Amino acid sequence: MDLSYVLTLLVFFPVLGMVVLAFIPNTQEKTIKLVGFLATLPTLLLSLAVYFHYLAGKSLEDFSVMKHWIQFGGFGEMDKNFFAVHYELGLDGFSMIMVLLTSIIATLAAVASIHIKKEWKGYFMLFLLLEVGMLGVFAAENLILFFIFFEITLIPMFFLIGKWGYFEKERAAYSFLIYNGLGSAVLLIVIMVLFARTGTSNIDVLAQIVNNPDQQMMAPISDTMKFGLLFALLVAFGVKLPIFPLHTWMLRVHVQAPPSIVMLHSGILLKIGAFGLIRFGMGIFPEQFKTLGLLLAILGVINLLYGAFLAFVQKDFKMVLAYSSISHMGIVLIGLGAMNEAGIQGAIFQVVSHGLISALLFFLVSVFYERTDTTLLENLGGIAKGMPIAAGFLLAGAMASLGLPGMSGFVSEFMAFLGLFEEMPWVAAVGAIGIIMTAVYLLRAVLGITFGKSHREFTGITDLRKVEWVPVITLMALIVLIGVYPSVLSEPLKTTLDAIMLGLGG
Amino acid sequence: MSGVPASAFLSLALILFCIGLYGALTKRNTVIVLVSIELMLNAVNINLVTFSKYGMMPNITGQVFALFAMSVAAAEAAVGLAILFALYRNKKSVNIDEMDAMKN
Amino acid sequence: MENAWIIPLFPLLSFLFLLLFGKRFKESSAYVGMLLTFASLVYSLLVLFERFSSPTYKQEGVWLTIGDVQLTAGFEVNQLNALMLVIVSLVSFLVHTYSKGYMHGEERFPVFYAYLGLFTFAMLGLVLSPNLLQTYFFWELVGVGSFLLIGFYFYKDEAKAAAKKAFIMTRIGDVGLLIGMILLFWQVGSFEYDAIFAAVAAGEVAQGMITLTAILIFIGAVGKSGQFPLHTWLPDAMEGPTPVSALIHAATMVAAGVYLVAALFPLFTASDVALTTIAVIGAITAIFAASIGLVQTDIKRVLAYSTVSQLGYMMLALGSAGYVAGVFHLMTHAFFKALLFLAAGSVIHAVHTQNIEEMGGLWKKLRVTGPLFLIGTLAISGVPLFSGFFSKDEILIAAWEGGHPILFLLAVIAAFFTAFYMFRLFFMVFTGKSRSEMKNVHESPSLMTLPMIVLAVLAVVSGYVNTPWFGTFLGDWLVEGNEALGHGHVEGPAWIMIVATVVSLAGIYLSWLIYGKKSLSRNWLGAQTLYKVLYNKYYIDEFYSMTIVKVTKGFSHFLRYIDTYLVEGIVLGVTAFVQTLGRLGAKLQTGQVQTYSAVAFIGLAILMVIFALTGGYL
Repeated sequence: MDLSYVLTLLVFFPVLGMVVLAFIPNTQEKTIKLVGFLATLPTLLLSLAVYFHYLAGKSLEDFSVMKHWIQFGGFGEMDKNFFAVHYELGLDGFSMIMVLLTSIIATLAAVASIHIKKEWKGYFMLFLLLEVGMLGVFAAENLILFFIFFEITLIPMFFLIGKWGYFEKERAAYSFLIYNGLGSAVLLIVIMVLFARTGTSNIDVLAQIVNNPDQQMMAPISDTMKFGLLFALLVAFGVKLPIFPLHTWMLRVHVQAPPSIVMLHSGILLKIGAFGLIRFGMGIFPEQFKTLGLLLAILGVINLLYGAFLAFVQKDFKMVLAYSSISHMGIVLIGLGAMNEAGIQGAIFQVVSHGLISALLFFLVSVFYERTDTTLLENLGGIAKGMPIAAGFLLAGAMASLGLPGMSGFVSEFMAFLGLFEEMPWVAAVGAIGIIMTAVYLLRAVLGITFGKSHREFTGITDLRKVEWVPVITLMALIVLIGVYPSVLSEPLKTTLDAIMLGLGG
Repeated sequence: MSGVPASAFLSLALILFCIGLYGALTKRNTVIVLVSIELMLNAVNINLVTFSKYGMMPNITGQVFALFAMSVAAAEAAVGLAILFALYRNKKSVNIDEMDAMKN
Repeated sequence: MENAWIIPLFPLLSFLFLLLFGKRFKESSAYVGMLLTFASLVYSLLVLFERFSSPTYKQEGVWLTIGDVQLTAGFEVNQLNALMLVIVSLVSFLVHTYSKGYMHGEERFPVFYAYLGLFTFAMLGLVLSPNLLQTYFFWELVGVGSFLLIGFYFYKDEAKAAAKKAFIMTRIGDVGLLIGMILLFWQVGSFEYDAIFAAVAAGEVAQGMITLTAILIFIGAVGKSGQFPLHTWLPDAMEGPTPVSALIHAATMVAAGVYLVAALFPLFTASDVALTTIAVIGAITAIFAASIGLVQTDIKRVLAYSTVSQLGYMMLALGSAGYVAGVFHLMTHAFFKALLFLAAGSVIHAVHTQNIEEMGGLWKKLRVTGPLFLIGTLAISGVPLFSGFFSKDEILIAAWEGGHPILFLLAVIAAFFTAFYMFRLFFMVFTGKSRSEMKNVHESPSLMTLPMIVLAVLAVVSGYVNTPWFGTFLGDWLVEGNEALGHGHVEGPAWIMIVATVVSLAGIYLSWLIYGKKSLSRNWLGAQTLYKVLYNKYYIDEFYSMTIVKVTKGFSHFLRYIDTYLVEGIVLGVTAFVQTLGRLGAKLQTGQVQTYSAVAFIGLAILMVIFALTGGYL
């Protein structure tokens, strides 16, 4: 059976939703929201189908698609693949999980978009375009295609923040665009250098050529050059992740963007940084990457502690979550810095786990904001009285975030530290302070919101509505599933990890 | 014809171009500036034709290109004059110094 | 025993069921919880009896694969686990029953039972764990159960603060445990208890590493068991409902630290430094908490400090290589302290205050609670023939034999203090005249008194399973087949028992003189400074908030300053630089087309000159 069309359908289905939306009058709020939501479903179903296809023991290669697309120069007659850009999509264990995560969170964010107050049509069209971009980033098999999808995510994000955000939305949007634009400029340089030097942009082929000088048809790539390229990658994805001190744009986005978009942003877009580092950094430059272990681990610990200490003194819950994202991305770096199986697996787990958790927390933020018009800690105090269920889920989400066993956060945190303690016990020991600080700032914030005397009357506010149950339950269930039975993630990751470990040499 | 060296044609083209350039950069009257641009274009045309005859690989392409350039120059002159008319109606002047809408 | 894994699942079922459908059941959700914990209890008893006759049973499956390493999850039934299973499920069942009466009329009744179910699940899971990772897993979950129940009255600011404090303080310990466990993993290559003990016994782990990991793991136990200096959360945890205090903060969870040290005993015995550390911390905690308990006026706080002190006792026993003594006291303490808390709850239920200064003369009004409380008090004070006497005696012998005369002395003084403050509590609450208006004081319903009676019986008889007179059945059984745990019974000089008796009776007598007969002044401490220091718990809380909390806050604010001014400043600087450059560039834009073209032409000319001079290469 030919399944190669599946990925194309999966990635581009939201475009169909955009077309349908274009024909609906802007005033029909309900229809637009419904269509916007429905348009995310086929992608979700397809990615679930892919996952079950994999679970059934079949190969993910079935989904690979490759079509000749652009040919540069006159080399086509010698070798069709030389200086050619193909339209190639494909999945391995890691990217399959990311695609699945993206489609799940996109669907849930579409549900969360019920809280959007204006211009639903434009909103959902951009939303769907953003989804296409994110899916494409993970499914792309070559760097140029990756870059195109990467850029596709930037533009809708810019408008979504700038138009539907809060008070300082324009500033946040520009901040976002400038930082990420610079990041992708650096990325583009790397891609172009690699392309010009090797004549290919396929990731797997690149990984082979770059590390085998005898396969390099042009001038060989020197080690200095490789370091330079890797460093550029680190900067490009470091902006996205974000790594301290490149993080300030992300705070603004977290605070100013509408929560449903932050679900996607914090849940998926930040993860592209980690994805890129693992896929390209580790994949293409394993030897050079290995020497960066200590640097990454230290950056990770700095991120972890810096985010945690700053989250401790924030007054706005969204700011707390923003710094918490920085802190949690530190764990990704810590895992990568360890350069062993436990660490890298932990980093990937953290990518998935934080995606789910932050989506849950930001969804709850939008729930609270819709009812109380505030996200300031002091104004929200004692809300458990009026909304016990939402408050309960908030508490559960915070517990997941601070690494409570039985939830996904623990597995990733544990593995990342397990990995780092083998390699650099002292760095890890300093990082362990972060585990305590995470508990401190999250409890301070969450208990500040839910517990205590209510500072104002929350009369007449309703608890979770039926629609709102869907994202909360789904995300919570996934978080607990991964926490209790982590093999659902580790099994698909196995081949990817083996490949990475092989590249790293052991 | 064959007695005339290529350098003569090229010198002519150079002189024409320099006159055109001088006019385009210094004249106040926009009409004269446009005329000077035509001079420069024609200088290029002479170059093209010269090389199509005396170049390393003489062929017809240069002459075709010159014809092309002439027709495009005609179109360009038409558009340029149209813009000039529009400007004159607005500003009651064809003085190029006064046309500084691009400032800053 | 093959089905022992089902024991924790009953309370888990109770938790999930009540969380989902609790609202519909209202107060009858208590029956759901009671029924399911009763099932656990029955099963635990079956397992215990089966364990008497059959060897340790262990079963595991793969939980997570990391490269070549497989982390497993499973369960193990050995002597210690089987005993703990019964203690936990029994106390939990009794507390479930008791709470039906105590929590009557509470709006969030089903939630309370759901939380109880969660906690019981986690605690049972903890004691069944065959490896460190799983232990840590449930270790954290019991912490959450405790956190949720302390914060049950979430609208009270004190409850909020106490819950937060409990979680964070224990978390500090947990990080120690986590680090210790991971370090041990890289030494041994496994989290399995068996593998760790085998590696330690075979000398595969360096001595320094054993000491380091043992102490780190002990830090986890310090946090959980409220040992000095991480003890401050436990008295504050009394903000939770009283049955919770009985279950979690007296009988089971706080004993988890002691349990952990006991479960990893072969690791600790491999390092003298670690053992001494445990003994010293235990002794310090015992005397330190007991001295605070002397002057507290809140009935639950007195009991809380007594719990801390008794846990210190257990640690002292373990640190002196008295495995049996520690576990034995863990068991008897679970019964009599749960009894005391439930009885205290019954008193609070009757008089609606926790301040013992406002109580008095309740003996006649609470005809059931009074004698039950007295039994608990006698047991904890170590009066002969009650369970506490035997277990305390074991500990004193262990401390003496362990060769720490100073620690032994501290333990004896702590025993004196214990007898004194427990009877102070008893006399102030039950004898004399009521010191405030008490209306409608009535005995609690039988639903509440029955569990107390069961516990009272156990508080008396549970000591007889391990006595120097009638045989040391428990001790022999506990160490059976495991050399590393030491002997089932340690012979000690007979005078220790006499000393223990005399000391506790002296404490009771002194207490009677002051608070019963009132022939001595109540201001026995004389010096007001000492009283103040004790009453304010040695100002430890204040010390922490002045130092650690302040430093953390200060550092955070400092970082915020950095973030907003330095990092953001650099960003703004770059923006400003680009903008200035742009403005300068904009100045060149005169709008004169001819100037532009002239510049372009000159630029071209210069380029061509350079081109000509360099011969085509730049």
